[in-house]
Amino acid sequence: MKKLLIFLLIPNLIFAELLLEITKGSDNPYRVAIVPFEGSSNGVNNIIKIVKDDLMRSGEFFVLDEDMLLSSPKAIEDINPSEWKLLKIDFVVIGTVVDENSSGLKATYEIYDVNRRSKVRSSTVYGIPGKIRQLSHYISDGIYENITGIKGIATTKILYVNELIDSFGSTYILYVADADGANEQILLKSNEPIISPAWSPDSKKIAYVSFETGMAKVYIQDISTGDRDLVLVNDHQISSPAWSPDGKLLSLTLYQDGNAEIYILNLKNKNLTRLTKHYSIDTESSWSPKGTKILFTSGRSGSPQLYEIDLTKFNTKPKRITFEGNYNAKGSYLPNNEGVIFVHRSSQQFQIALKYFDENFIRPLTESKMDESPSVSPNGNVIVYAITDDKLGMIAGVTLSGATFILPATNGKVREPAWSGFLR
Amino acid sequence: MMKDNKKLIITYSFIGLFIASCSSVQVTEEAVYSDSVQSIEVSSSKAYDTPTESKALFANATVYFEFDKYNLSTRSIQALKGVIELMKENDSIEITIAGHADERGTREYNLALGQRRAESVADYMVLKGISRSRLTIKSYGEEMPMMQGSNERSWARNRRAEIN
Repeated sequence: MKKLLIFLLIPNLIFAELLLEITKGSDNPYRVAIVPFEGSSNGVNNIIKIVKDDLMRSGEFFVLDEDMLLSSPKAIEDINPSEWKLLKIDFVVIGTVVDENSSGLKATYEIYDVNRRSKVRSSTVYGIPGKIRQLSHYISDGIYENITGIKGIATTKILYVNELIDSFGSTYILYVADADGANEQILLKSNEPIISPAWSPDSKKIAYVSFETGMAKVYIQDISTGDRDLVLVNDHQISSPAWSPDGKLLSLTLYQDGNAEIYILNLKNKNLTRLTKHYSIDTESSWSPKGTKILFTSGRSGSPQLYEIDLTKFNTKPKRITFEGNYNAKGSYLPNNEGVIFVHRSSQQFQIALKYFDENFIRPLTESKMDESPSVSPNGNVIVYAITDDKLGMIAGVTLSGATFILPATNGKVREPAWSGFLR
Repeated sequence: MMKDNKKLIITYSFIGLFIASCSSVQVTEEAVYSDSVQSIEVSSSKAYDTPTESKALFANATVYFEFDKYNLSTRSIQALKGVIELMKENDSIEITIAGHADERGTREYNLALGQRRAESVADYMVLKGISRSRLTIKSYGEEMPMMQGSNERSWARNRRAEIN
C-alpha cells in the first residue's frame, strides 16, 4: 500500500468562528460592575463585553449591564459606596487602556471592594498591538483570581475538530481557539479523520490521531513551528495519546497484540512499557494530576467501565472505578484529584457524569442525547464536551456550580474539545 | 484579529508576572504572551497499489454486528464464504478488513471495537485456512459511517466490517 503525503503550509483565512452563548448562570454569583474603560486605543469599547462574557461564562459572576450604572467614576477616590450598595454590587472595576507609541497596549485596572470600602487590586497588563481581545482575557483572569482566589481560564485555549461535509466528501480540521471560541486558527487540515487531540503539559505541543495514511496513527505537532512526527513507526494502528504531567511520557493504545492494549512510551528514548494485558478492549488512558495513576476504559467486565492502575505499585490489578450502568468511558481526573469525569450511558442517552472518589454514586452533569469527549479546565471548574445532534456537532460547557454555556458552530460537525493548561 | 493571523511566526515569550502584596491590595504587573500558530495541511492520495489482476477478482463483502459486540452471526459467516473460496482459488489475493462502529459511545472505544470486529472476521478466515499474512486489519471506529442519521436503521448499517 503506497500513499502520497503532501505537506503544505496554508495561510490562515477567515473561517466561521464559534460564538459564545450563555444558557444558564449559577444561583449566588459575585456581583460586579465594570465602569467603561477610558483610553484612546481602538477597540477600548470591546473590553467590557469581552471581560463580562469571560466572567459570566465562569458561572460564578453577575456583571451589571453598562446602562444600569448610576455613575462612571474615573478613580477609586470618586467611588460612592452607598450608590453601589443600592445596586447590590460587591466589586467595582475601573480601568484605562492606552496605545504606547505603537509598541503595544497598556491596560491598568483597579478593583474596589464595596463591602470592605477599599481597593483590593491594582494591576498593569502590557499587551500586543491590536490584540485587545487577548488583553481583555488577562484582565478577566486578574479580576477572577482576585475575587475568587482561584486561577482564571479566560487566557487558556481549546483544541477541537470540525468536520466539514460537501459534495466532494469530508474535510477534517483541527483548530485551536481561545477558551471563548474566538481567535480560531487551523493546526491541521486533512481529508481523513482526526480524533483525540491532546495538549502537552506546557501547552506548546499537541498529540492527536490522524487517519491520513489510511490507518489510525498518533502524531505530535509543535503548535508554533508546525513540525510534526509519528510517535512510533509500525504496521499497526495506534491511538488515544495522553501526556504524563511532567511531559516525558505518552500513554497510548497500541494494537500490535491483536487487541487494544495500553502502553507508556518514553518520548526521549522511545522505550515502551506495557500497562494492560487482557483479551478485552483497554483504551482511553489518562493520567492523574501527579502522574501516579492511570485511568482507562476497559471492556473486561463485559461492558465498558473505568479502571485505574496505580503506577507506584508493581504489577497491581486494575481497580474498577465505575459500577452504575453498562457504559462508562473516556474518563479523566479532576485537577484536584477528587474525582473523575466521564461519558455515562443512562437508558438510551449518553451524558457527561462526575464521580467523586469519596462518594458511591455518580452525578450526571448534562442532559442531551449524545454527549461525549469531556475535557476539564485547568482550574477544575468547567467541563467542555461535544454535543451531537442529527446533523450538527457543537461544543458546550458546564461548570461544577451548574452554569451552562454553548459554543454553537455556524457550520460543520464540531467535536473532540480538549482544554489546554494555564498559559498565563 | 485576523490580520494578526498572517504572522506565522510565534514566540511564547513571558515577559513577566510580578505579584507584590501591599497591605490588602494585590498589585500586579504582567505582559501578554504572543501566540501565533503554524497551520499544516496533509492530503492522502487514495491510490492503492493492489495488482490489477487480483483487483479484478476482488470479492467485496460486508458483515454486520450488534451494539458493543464483535462476534460473527451465522448470517455474517454466510457472507464470508464467497470471499474465502475466492482467496483459496487465488493465492495472489490480499484483502483489507476494516471494522466500523456506530456513532454511539466514545470515539476511541469505538475505534477499538471496530478493530475487534475486523479481528473477528480475520480469525474466522484464518480458521478456514487463509494465511493471516494475506489480511490487513484496521478500524475506522465511528468516523466513516455508511449511512448518516441518528437512528436505529443507520446504526445497524454502520456497525460493520468491510472486506475489500
